[in-house]
Amino acid sequence: MALVRNMKKYWVFYVMMLPGAAFLILNNYIPMLGVLIAFKSVNYEIGMLKSPWVGLDNFQYLFKTTDAWIITRNTILYNAAFIVLNLVVPVAFAIFLNEMRNKFFAKVHQTILFLPYFLSMVVVSYLVYGFLHDTHGFVNTTVMKSFGLEPVQWYFQKEVWPYLLPLVNTWKNVGYYAVIYLAAVIGFDDEYYEAATIDGASKWQQIKSITIPLLVPMMIIMTLLQIGRIFYADFGLFFQVPRESGPLFPVTNVIDTYVYRTFIALGDVGLSSAAGLYQSICGFILVFVSNWVVRRIDKDKALF
Amino acid sequence: MEAVKRRSGPNPFNGVSPVANSLINIFFTIYSLCCILPLVLIVMVSLSNEQDILTMGYSFIPNRIDLTAYEFLLEDWRQILRSYGVTFFVTVVGTLISLIVMSLYAYPISRTDFPQRKFFTFFIFFTMLFNGGLVPWYLVYVQMLELRNNIWALILPLIVSAFFVLIIRTFFQQTIPSAVLESAKIDGAGELRIFFQIVMPLSLPVLATVALFSTLNYWNDWFLSLVFITDDKTLSIQYLMYKTLLNIQFMASNSNAVAAISAAGGVVSYPNETVRMAMAIVGIGPIVFAYPFFQKYFVKGLTVGAVKG
Amino acid sequence: MVQMRKKRFSAIIVMLVAMLLFSACSGGKSAGGANDTTGGDQATNAAESAEPQASKPAAGASDLKPYELKLVYTGAPQADEKKVEEAMNTYLTEKINATIDIAPIDWGPWEDKLNLMIASREKVDVVFTAQWQKYAVNVAKGAFKDLGPLLESHGQGIVESLDPAFLEGSKIDGKNYGVPTNKELAAQGGIIYRKDIAEELGIDMTQVITIADLDAVFKAVKDGKPGMTPLYLKEGETFNSHYLGNYDALGDTSIPGMILKDSDSTKVVPSYELPRYVDTLKITREFYKKGYINSDAATNQTMNTDAMKAGNVFAMTSSLKPGKYAEIENQTGLIGKLAQIPLNEKTIATSETAGAMLAVSTTSGDPERAMMFINLLHTDKYLNNLLNFGIEGDHYEKASEEIIKPTDNTKSYSPGAAWMLGSQFLNYVWESEDPDKWAQYKEFNQNAKVSPGLGFVFNSDSVKAEVGAIVNVDSQYLIALETGSVDVDKVLPEYIEKLKAAGIDKIIEEKQTQFDKFLASK
Repeated sequence: MALVRNMKKYWVFYVMMLPGAAFLILNNYIPMLGVLIAFKSVNYEIGMLKSPWVGLDNFQYLFKTTDAWIITRNTILYNAAFIVLNLVVPVAFAIFLNEMRNKFFAKVHQTILFLPYFLSMVVVSYLVYGFLHDTHGFVNTTVMKSFGLEPVQWYFQKEVWPYLLPLVNTWKNVGYYAVIYLAAVIGFDDEYYEAATIDGASKWQQIKSITIPLLVPMMIIMTLLQIGRIFYADFGLFFQVPRESGPLFPVTNVIDTYVYRTFIALGDVGLSSAAGLYQSICGFILVFVSNWVVRRIDKDKALF
Repeated sequence: MEAVKRRSGPNPFNGVSPVANSLINIFFTIYSLCCILPLVLIVMVSLSNEQDILTMGYSFIPNRIDLTAYEFLLEDWRQILRSYGVTFFVTVVGTLISLIVMSLYAYPISRTDFPQRKFFTFFIFFTMLFNGGLVPWYLVYVQMLELRNNIWALILPLIVSAFFVLIIRTFFQQTIPSAVLESAKIDGAGELRIFFQIVMPLSLPVLATVALFSTLNYWNDWFLSLVFITDDKTLSIQYLMYKTLLNIQFMASNSNAVAAISAAGGVVSYPNETVRMAMAIVGIGPIVFAYPFFQKYFVKGLTVGAVKG
Repeated sequence: MVQMRKKRFSAIIVMLVAMLLFSACSGGKSAGGANDTTGGDQATNAAESAEPQASKPAAGASDLKPYELKLVYTGAPQADEKKVEEAMNTYLTEKINATIDIAPIDWGPWEDKLNLMIASREKVDVVFTAQWQKYAVNVAKGAFKDLGPLLESHGQGIVESLDPAFLEGSKIDGKNYGVPTNKELAAQGGIIYRKDIAEELGIDMTQVITIADLDAVFKAVKDGKPGMTPLYLKEGETFNSHYLGNYDALGDTSIPGMILKDSDSTKVVPSYELPRYVDTLKITREFYKKGYINSDAATNQTMNTDAMKAGNVFAMTSSLKPGKYAEIENQTGLIGKLAQIPLNEKTIATSETAGAMLAVSTTSGDPERAMMFINLLHTDKYLNNLLNFGIEGDHYEKASEEIIKPTDNTKSYSPGAAWMLGSQFLNYVWESEDPDKWAQYKEFNQNAKVSPGLGFVFNSDSVKAEVGAIVNVDSQYLIALETGSVDVDKVLPEYIEKLKAAGIDKIIEEKQTQFDKFLASK
């Protein structure tokens, strides 16, 4: 009954959401039944539904290795770093770009900031290789030489990569995230600032007590969204950029690269499906917890 | 009067100090160089001689200018033009549809008076977390919708992104003052009219942002072409350029296969590095101008003052 | 409120299930005869009807219903594909009342597309496969038909022309799921080097018999040509590659546990227990330290042929067959400057017999016709050359009966896929090649040592979890070790320890069990 009343009152909303919801059912919810593959040994000739069940066998390989802990740790730590960097740096960039007096320059910088986002990871990996190659890379031939240092085999130096990968990731994505925050900053009502100016607040005070608090909801959403995918690593970044260099594995091996190598060797969709399910469930739990925490603090800012 | 002032830019007395301003300027100039130089390098490598690259590595100033890479690519100019056309169509139509569908979904879940908003927010958020994998998804498009080799197969799958919808929703919640909505309702405006005549114009910056992202998604997509298209007529430019990089990735991750192919008598070859860089340039192509195009919508909602009176 | 939410949830689930059922039904119908059930039925019908027909003389083309065959192999699509298809159609209609759809797929997307093709039960007829292309995995998924009855009924030409070792050496559990390409059977490994540089520096290459002998050669190159890299190595192309070490991995080379092709021992051992493997690692490390090997060998993705092409590389490792150096000369443009030296005994193993095959898909609407087509590729000189080189007078011209030369339009159709399609001994020979190529291949096939593992393919299903972990350990250590980039004494023990932790012993044990069973059945 309540539903009918609700439908009557908000029918316009339901109509508005219809195309989107229909799409989600088609594109996302129906294929989700495919998670069954994770528990099966697939034989296409007899069909997916009739293929034999294998229980949790497909999950075993994820924990078979002594590296299970390392790849999980790498995945989470890198992603945690990315979440923080993708929050702090773009927000700062957005605020500064907004405050820049010369609007023309601000626009030019915005555009240029965005350029790295266009490059595919394969091309990025060539660029990094161009910089770090042991005999004709820019770093060894120019930078190290001018400091009078010996050339270094960068692709064997695992100490460097935990800093290098976040650097590459931020360089590539900062423009993208900055645009989101910039759009939000532009949307803020000028009246807040005018009132603050009349009260004699300095620009820095205004940023601290008006801009940032107003950005918090957007920051929370972005963070929650990224936490949901914290068990998924950016495959291109971890596979292409370190060039599968073995000595770097302790700091570059993540769940996605691990699964990919297994898939290349075995070609078994059950195994990759199992990995995906494992990543999703872990992310799901984390999001639920974080959302719960947010809700405890401020009900309106929670995602759901 | 107020509106005029607002449009004329920030209050000159309400800006950062000149020192801070120049510091910001210096910082961004350096950072912009860091972003643009690698791109310049790519252009330069694509103009270099292949042997120089193999023996000396990349260089900002090519030893000798060599256009072989572009000559090689342009041999196929008909296909390149056609693929640009396909991508252009897909990008424009796809972005328009997806912008409408996504904002229509985002609006109800942004309304705090809509009791089911949490459920529908979760309904869309859930799709970000779980997916059933490539095969079942592929079956939906190929067997239910029969879109193999169809240009809509390049458009449909990217229409709704949960990520973008939630950004729009947050923005709606943040920047549309509920006072505006209420006064419109009192004036007797229906929800659809409020949405199209008040909410949308007020949300230009976020709509421009999402349109930009959506444009990039469509432009950069090569995967949909890979799985759905076998017909040259419907190949997107990105796939055309990316497929050789895919070949390279295959070779790089299947060294056993490479040895086996060459043992079996096959020849494994892929374009050299200058061509790969030229491909990256062609793939990026006109899309670098998308940003400045959408940038002009990064303006304040002009009607705020008007509605408030 | 809670109850209401529950209701809505169940409503959505009902809706989803309904849609799924709908999709299953309509999906089946929409594929138009290519769906699971009817496809399967047709297949069984065909197999049944194959029996009585086998005794009759081959049915004439007129008795057959028109049928379009879809041929899927890997390679770049060709501009003049349509033209060649038309020419083939005229001929095929007459022979077996069939037409053809050639559908090559590039290497990069090949794996994804093939997987989706198999998973969606797309209607295809003839598919390229190989032992290193997940042949065993796809057979296990039910992708390919058992060809035994079809070979008997419609593949007589294949059985007669193909060396029995091919069909014997490409079986899985005693059944043939693919028809191997008829080509060289033996395999050998060695190096390809710059003859001109060796002559210039006065190096006597006839003294080189083993890998260790190369030390003096590389030293002379390094001293005589300081800018030159004596040996170019990269992932998969090292002194310990299976083609050089004669390691038989008894199936997929990424799964540990091997025997030696050139020995009679049937004990499956991990690589690190073979003295040959460890010694070679040490020699490679020695060479690396002496600066003979490119220092970026572990990370460089440049193909060794491209590195040769650049002109500052003296030698590379390669699998060898007669005239291999000439092929590389053509690829690199170093005409007349290369030569080859074998560094091991030539052998025959499953990696060669099952190195390139054509399979019949279980989704084929007419498997008999597919087999007839494969049979023609193995026996019909006109059809084979038409598919491989295009139309005479357009894509090539005849210089003599067997020798062809390129035309202006050659680039519009040159798939370079002859090694996948039928019998190579039917192929024309390009003007630039040795006119005796095929005779030499036949000779090369003689007197090769047969690996004890010939015809055995390991089924990794029961040790999937271990294999999944092992391939990751391998990527971490193998390339660095085999290119000599890291200290063998320090890293090898670490590698072994990791392999053991990942369960290598279980894989070896399972492999040995399966292998023993195979040997007993022989």
